[in-house]
Amino acid sequence: MSGITLAVPSKGRLEELTRDWFASKGLTITRPGGARSYLGAIDGMPEVTVRFFPASEIARELIRGSIDIGVTGLDLIHETSETGPASVSIASRLGFGQADCVVAVPEAWIDVTHMHDLADVASDFRARHGRWLRIATKYITITRQHFARAGIAEYRTVESLGATEAAPASGVADIVVDITTTGSTLAANGLRVLEDGVMLKSEACLIVSRTAGWSPERRAIRDQMLARLGVTAEV
Amino acid sequence: MSGAALRRANLEALVEAQGATRATPPLLLSADPYFDLAGEEFGRRLLLTTDATGAEYCLRPDFTLPIVKAYIENGVGKPAAFSYLGPIFRQRNTGAAQFDQAGIELLAQPDGDVALDQVLTFARAALSIYGVAPQFRLGGVGLFEALLAQADMPDAWRPRIRNRFGHTEALNRLLTRLEAAPDLPREAQPSRDELVEDVTAQMVAAGLSLSDGRTPDEIADRYLEQQALDAALVPPATLKLLRDYLAISGPVLQALTQIEALAAGHKLMLGAPIRALRRHLNGLGEAKVSFDAGFSPRLDYYTGIVFELTGQSGAILASGGQYDRLLERLGATAPIAASGCSVWVDRLEAEVAP
Repeated sequence: MSGITLAVPSKGRLEELTRDWFASKGLTITRPGGARSYLGAIDGMPEVTVRFFPASEIARELIRGSIDIGVTGLDLIHETSETGPASVSIASRLGFGQADCVVAVPEAWIDVTHMHDLADVASDFRARHGRWLRIATKYITITRQHFARAGIAEYRTVESLGATEAAPASGVADIVVDITTTGSTLAANGLRVLEDGVMLKSEACLIVSRTAGWSPERRAIRDQMLARLGVTAEV
Repeated sequence: MSGAALRRANLEALVEAQGATRATPPLLLSADPYFDLAGEEFGRRLLLTTDATGAEYCLRPDFTLPIVKAYIENGVGKPAAFSYLGPIFRQRNTGAAQFDQAGIELLAQPDGDVALDQVLTFARAALSIYGVAPQFRLGGVGLFEALLAQADMPDAWRPRIRNRFGHTEALNRLLTRLEAAPDLPREAQPSRDELVEDVTAQMVAAGLSLSDGRTPDEIADRYLEQQALDAALVPPATLKLLRDYLAISGPVLQALTQIEALAAGHKLMLGAPIRALRRHLNGLGEAKVSFDAGFSPRLDYYTGIVFELTGQSGAILASGGQYDRLLERLGATAPIAASGCSVWVDRLEAEVAP
């Protein structure tokens, strides 16, 4: 294969902002088949095939190396695999899609303001309540890594694929790890972000796979495209 | 017989020669006990699968837990010894997810010292089959617990410090926080009743159950305790003691002498746990032995002495120790002496020079 693949989020606001960002650098992404087609191109760069994918698949395929360059959220790179961050290079933060991955506890937990409070509560939670402290989240990998760094081992995650902020009220979990932009959804559900509870500041990024096979020819195309975008990557 | 096959046969013979019941737990085990015992940290290493009802299973990730669970189910009390050699399954960053472990578990033995000696002897013998001259790294959980129990500090800090033992950064952060003791002026605190009322109102407003998880009483009590703790400082001399103690790491005799000096200086009675450590040194023969005061597995059921053996490459080849609280964690009604170790067979084979 002599060309390279650029993956762009396939729908909505993220697609629009991504195409705007490329346009602002002088590269026009076209999608000739319209929203139902998943194949596109960059005007004047026939060696680059543009593919439209859901953002989570872009993260996964960048890590595996089956996509060369892509736009996706930093949180998805960290969540998809523990080896995710090492498998890719962040060429540029794009300035949109900002969201923080945070630890939030019920507002009523007035005694818990920092991760070290949570460590204390978790450590004797099972002795008091006969079960582990439960954390609802869809960010299991990020949660495990962050909690391990904070020295907290005594908890269970409950996978939550939607409306994570409702988990404490519905009794599914005690606290949550969730993504938030303003914190207002969390606050509306009676949850408060810990003062040192921001685990990851995420935004949309232009990301280059390190695990893709970079032949000299493909490397040249990649570097030409990155140069036109005014960015570099450590691959 | 090729070298590898011969070593394997010798290891097999060693496992059989322990005067123990050979344990062969099923390969497919319920995952819940592992999450219950070791939490998410270990849970992420499991190879999980789900049955039609949604119940989670894992491929056997170790031998200790199924062995000890079966022992408890058959009625505890009688001394028992188990040995094993076979495949276990864990997600690892490098290496195959399936690999062999050998080991022994000695439960409810009349003399915990003698049991630990047998465990240490087993680990050394296993390594010698592979021609490895091991480096022993010892840790003293019992020693640290004895020091913590006697050190001068408000009681509420003791479990908080104990909980972080074995996690160097977390413990370090806590000590740093205590050293930078808050010199803030204390605000007048509301009464406990007012706090409970306030917390209850907030929980009801947020739709939280008042009984299923943390209760308003618990939150109010911990809040007040926290305020009291911020005021109840750990004396600087105690913090220095903890720092000095945790920094001790080196050849075992030198390290134990340093600890004795520290104990004498702070008037601590650490004679019993230090003697327990010394008693085992004779049995370790020529091996290089170091003692690391901050070394402990991050699982709170470990009790007396813990150890790791490393070879030339620095990889951990065997690890184990005493875990008298494990059986209680798994449902026994009282603490029962337990010790054991496991040996990483694939790493041992990798130590053999080609």
